[in-house]
Amino acid sequence: MKNILFTLSSILLIILIIFFSRNEEPVDFSADVKPILNKHCISCHGGVKKNGGFSLLFEQEAFAVNDSGFPAIVPGNPHQSEMIKRLMESDPELRMPYNKAPLSADEIEVLKKWIKQGAKWGKHWAYVPVQKSDIPKAIKKFEQQISPSPVSNLDKIVFKKLKAQGFQPAPQAEKMQLLRRLALDITGLPPSQELVEKWRNDQIPYEALVDELLSLPAYGEKWASWWLDLARYADSKGYERDQSRTIWPYRDWVIRAFNHDMPFDQFTIEQLAGDLLPEPSKEQLIATAFHRNTMNNDEGGTEDEEFRVAAVLDRVNTTYEVWQSTTMACVQCHSHPYDPFYHEDYFRSMAFFNNSRDEDTTDEEPKIRLYEVDDQEKLKEIQSWLSQFTSTEMTKSYMDFLIFQEPKYHAHLATDFVNGELIDTKWLGLWPKGSAFLKNVYTGGADRLLLNYWSNHDGTKMTIRNGGPEGEILSQFNIDQTGATTRSILFKQVYEKIDLFISAENPRIGAQQATAAISWFAFLPKLPGDDSHKHQHINDYYSQMLNKRPLTVPIMIENPSFMQRKTHVFERGNWMLHGEEVQAITPESLNPWKKEWTQDRMGFALWLTDESNPLTARTTVNRVWDQLFGQGLVSTLEDMGTQSDPPVHRELLDFLAWELMYTHQWSIKQLIKEIVLSHTYRQGSGISPQQLAEDPENRWLARGPRFRLGAETVRDQALASAGLLSDKMYGKSVMPPQPDGIWETVYSGEYWKESEGEDKYRRGIYTYLKRTSPYPSFISFDAGSREVCQGKRIVTNTPLQALVTLNDPVFFEAAADLGKRMLDLNAMDPGKAIADVYEQILYQKLSEGKQKFLVQLYQEALEEFEFEKSPLLPADLTDSQRKSWGAFTVVGNAMLNLDEFLTKP
Amino acid sequence: MKGLDKLLGELELQRLQKQTRRHFLMDCVSKMGGLALFPLLNACQSGSGELGLNLSERDLNPLASLSPPSIPKVKSVIYLHMAGAPSQLELFDYKPELVKYNNQPCPESMLEGRKFAFIRGVPNLLGPVANFQQHGQSGAWVSDFLPHFSKIVDEVAFLKAVHTDQFNHGPAQLFMQTGSPRLGRPSLGSWVTYGLGTENQNLPGFVVLTSGGKTPDAGKSVWGSGFLPSVYQGVQCRSKGDPVLYLNDPEGINRSLKGKIVDAINSVNKEEFAAVGDPEILARINQYEMAFRMQLDVPEIMNINDEPDHIHELYGTQPGEEAFANNCLLARKLVEKGVRFIQLYDWGWDSHGTEKDTALDLGFRNKCREIDRPMSALILDLKQRGLLEDTLVVWGGEFGRTPMQENREGKTMGFKGRDHHVDAFTMWMAGGGIKKGATFGQTDDLGFSGIQGRVSVHDIHATILHLLGFDHERFTYEFQGRPFRLTDVEGEIIKEILA
Repeated sequence: MKNILFTLSSILLIILIIFFSRNEEPVDFSADVKPILNKHCISCHGGVKKNGGFSLLFEQEAFAVNDSGFPAIVPGNPHQSEMIKRLMESDPELRMPYNKAPLSADEIEVLKKWIKQGAKWGKHWAYVPVQKSDIPKAIKKFEQQISPSPVSNLDKIVFKKLKAQGFQPAPQAEKMQLLRRLALDITGLPPSQELVEKWRNDQIPYEALVDELLSLPAYGEKWASWWLDLARYADSKGYERDQSRTIWPYRDWVIRAFNHDMPFDQFTIEQLAGDLLPEPSKEQLIATAFHRNTMNNDEGGTEDEEFRVAAVLDRVNTTYEVWQSTTMACVQCHSHPYDPFYHEDYFRSMAFFNNSRDEDTTDEEPKIRLYEVDDQEKLKEIQSWLSQFTSTEMTKSYMDFLIFQEPKYHAHLATDFVNGELIDTKWLGLWPKGSAFLKNVYTGGADRLLLNYWSNHDGTKMTIRNGGPEGEILSQFNIDQTGATTRSILFKQVYEKIDLFISAENPRIGAQQATAAISWFAFLPKLPGDDSHKHQHINDYYSQMLNKRPLTVPIMIENPSFMQRKTHVFERGNWMLHGEEVQAITPESLNPWKKEWTQDRMGFALWLTDESNPLTARTTVNRVWDQLFGQGLVSTLEDMGTQSDPPVHRELLDFLAWELMYTHQWSIKQLIKEIVLSHTYRQGSGISPQQLAEDPENRWLARGPRFRLGAETVRDQALASAGLLSDKMYGKSVMPPQPDGIWETVYSGEYWKESEGEDKYRRGIYTYLKRTSPYPSFISFDAGSREVCQGKRIVTNTPLQALVTLNDPVFFEAAADLGKRMLDLNAMDPGKAIADVYEQILYQKLSEGKQKFLVQLYQEALEEFEFEKSPLLPADLTDSQRKSWGAFTVVGNAMLNLDEFLTKP
Repeated sequence: MKGLDKLLGELELQRLQKQTRRHFLMDCVSKMGGLALFPLLNACQSGSGELGLNLSERDLNPLASLSPPSIPKVKSVIYLHMAGAPSQLELFDYKPELVKYNNQPCPESMLEGRKFAFIRGVPNLLGPVANFQQHGQSGAWVSDFLPHFSKIVDEVAFLKAVHTDQFNHGPAQLFMQTGSPRLGRPSLGSWVTYGLGTENQNLPGFVVLTSGGKTPDAGKSVWGSGFLPSVYQGVQCRSKGDPVLYLNDPEGINRSLKGKIVDAINSVNKEEFAAVGDPEILARINQYEMAFRMQLDVPEIMNINDEPDHIHELYGTQPGEEAFANNCLLARKLVEKGVRFIQLYDWGWDSHGTEKDTALDLGFRNKCREIDRPMSALILDLKQRGLLEDTLVVWGGEFGRTPMQENREGKTMGFKGRDHHVDAFTMWMAGGGIKKGATFGQTDDLGFSGIQGRVSVHDIHATILHLLGFDHERFTYEFQGRPFRLTDVEGEIIKEILA
């Protein structure tokens, strides 16, 4: 009996143990613990503050001995862990979080369990490489509900969550609304009449419709707008003077890249490091303008080095934000407050970007010189001639100098002025008896100096000596009055780094007057083959080409070895306080660095696009999703890290990230296609009361996306609906009419010169963007000024937007065109005319309820519209025609302002 | 069992009806007609809290008026920014020693380790170009360049040792207005508008008025909303052309017809709302109402012609021109109408002495004449209307000027001018919560550095927010995964000038 009892109690004990240990489910650090730490602890025990010497940011810090002399966490023993004690302390002076509400009992329980289970540190999901997801089983009930709409893998992932939440997928959107949604999403324009007819009459299947839209050139224009926000593309340099910058060929490169569906990895590499590709093409050099969209400060009195550094920092921040959804800017001053990045990581990354030639000069060198066709022929002639007489390497040096004029030393490097100045802190201006140094110059033994300058005076004698006023004369020459010129001057060959002492003498001009304004110095040996009779001819060509003024675009060019900059940590983020020197390497917490990668921008781009990088594909998918659904799967687009909202559709994000890299081989078109083919995308966007109450933001995706169109699309759509939109692509940015007095920028002689002809009606992406004064209606509709990378436009709803679409002359002109269409359709039956045009621009029937209001407006406008005042109505029509046209115009004006017109259905 | 199910079902239905935005809003919509929509919606809204809905008043109207967390001293701010940075040494910071050392080389000790925008080598000191006297009961020093202002010094508190760390205009203006020298942060006015909304729904909440022929060097970013929603950015109201962009109706459309157009649009939108149930449509209906009212009220307020003669006389207005005087009068009118933040920029204060217009005794003196009467009139006018106690007036530039005469790139200059200076400059504040006639801070004998009562740009911001009822350390906005503050991690309230 005793034995039996013992056995029974043993069994009971075992059962109990099993029961309790079952109850003790393993706590997941990333999913359960980290959010609590981030919410309550990390602001005082993180990357910025480490109160009590205790930080929860990195594993080794969390378990380390802190100021108390002990570690705060004892794995396996919550009761001995000071951290838990302090959370449960009753004395408010000791209880954590200090001076804030205590943690909930549940939260403390999670932390206790975690410690008890060994306090295992984990990696946040966003830092784990993308894995192939399991596709959940189809849900029969839902399949039947949405039939005949097919169910994709994407849908299966979404439906599983919907079912768990007790939601159901919405039925497919009304047919013509779906067309409008798709066309606006893919091309940013309403669909063509031809497509409308085909689709209406079932002559084109959905997938073919998607393919057709993706193949239109308008696709590239639409999606380039998205990318240009990230690339902070603008037509001016920013800061105080904000002068024009010619960089639109980069915008065109982006449009073409999208239209050719350049794989995203290649797209990344060309933009970040196109110049470092072997024998880069003209296009690949233009692609590097991505990082020349940084601002350039021309304000007098500013130090170029300060703003060069600012541009480099911006490149680091932008690169991490665009490709990694990581706010690296935090780490500029201290370790990241909540993501696993050290202060030093920032500068190790900066080291990749710190060796480009640009130096915040007014001319924004280096720039690619896009020669005219005739000149390209001459270039070929020079090249083939050079290759006969010198090495491939030297030929490249000569040709590179024609194409982007590097390497060179800028005048702002001059120091130790005596009777001299840096004119407007930009150009070297030596006065009579003036001198200055240009230090640490490497000429590579070149026997020619290439000097870029202009002068208002004849007869200046210039002398350049080695090391100082008593040094050996390296070059002596005269400068006479001239416009800007690049001149080749005999120079003594020197093979080591030297300090140039530059002096000027001109007895004929007064004191404190600059003899010349020198922009830069470069050194290049004289052209080879001077025993050939053709030498002079080629030499002339070379000099001619140097002095051409072709279209130029700022690009990235890497420093040659003798110009390499060292990178230091900036203490507290201050660029003038240099800490320890660092080498280029990526953060340890992300994917490992491969030995075969070079430690430059090219290596960095390869690291970013390597399939082991956990963030690039996720970030890209998230951004594309945001474009289509109005919010990302991770809603904080700028931050995929640990502080961001835990995404409800993390599996979907990972699934699509895998698809992007492996199935679609980085094709953005295929990614978009996969998304828009899903039922999830095709769902109707009506909001049921239940959804509004339970999921107002549509996080679970139980309905289709519905949100206001973007700034460019609002205008493009109005113009397209009225038949005004020009389909001209590419080229110089245009200046459509805007109100007077918008541009009042200081020190800039530039003005808004209204474009003519069809250029008034180009798509928004071609509108000139001046950073300090962007096109006003775009700003009203939440477009940015593109001074820095903008990952997301916050959609607002303001009265100023209403004023634009109601009163901006271009919108009213579009209304008049719609009015004319109604007049021509059926002036006798205004109700029908209104319904027809409504259907033409919205692809759906006008309901009777709505029609009533618009017809009533027509009747009122017949009485009240002062048609004789409107310049839009031709004077040669009869009064009754003008009256009617005017009234229809008023109805058109209302139509262009309807919520359903301004919103993606 | 069946009965119970039914009962439970009904209970659930009731609960849903209560909690559903749509139901609740539809209830509201059904009660309203035409243009009276907005106040009704607000009325409907005010009851939503207890229903546990996440639809706030701000969902429908992002500019809805809110109370600050603590009791404010002032309701509105008028900020007079002299773009280009006026010389404190010609206006408020009297330095007899500088008279003595006029034209003497600047002691090298002062230059060591310093960087200036244009001064190179060793410049000479420049004595004040104006004559100084003490004024009022407070005995504040003011120069003869500001004869009107001298009479109201007892209303004002001076900060004599403000410092910044930016010596170029663009970054310094951004720093002064957004708390950061780089682009991308919201301006002070945007923060305030975000925090308080606006009392007058027919006018923009944050109005910007410019004079001097140019907008500030840093461009429109100085009144930008940065990472805050764009609805909180400053709206530039202009003296010429449309007072607000696109405010004027297209030719042929009169007020009555515009009302009918907006009515028709909103009627259709209500139908659409009934069909799709997206609350964003209600917000849009609301915005169209507001736009319609703005079209009426903004031109009215921007028109100063109806003001009585003595008011024009007081301010020295120049009707029809873009003038600082007009803008001061407009600022008063806007405050009267419940606008929270009015930012004036007057351009043309960059007195380097490179030409007549930037000479301290010529161009600068004329600029002083342009502002002296209007800014004094503004204080007096606010006071006589009982508005000064609810309003904070702030005056200042983005930095100060050097005690040395500029020697641009080592040259001798044709005119008397001073270079940019970050170490010490003067600002003043007046109005509610401000200690009248106070002076805080002192500079050294040459006016180069603050030696007592130094205050930073962040301190100024902290003080302004404090007067509006905000704790600058708690007034934050979540962006890029962390809370941002106007004052970043710095800023202390300047208690010495508080009443």
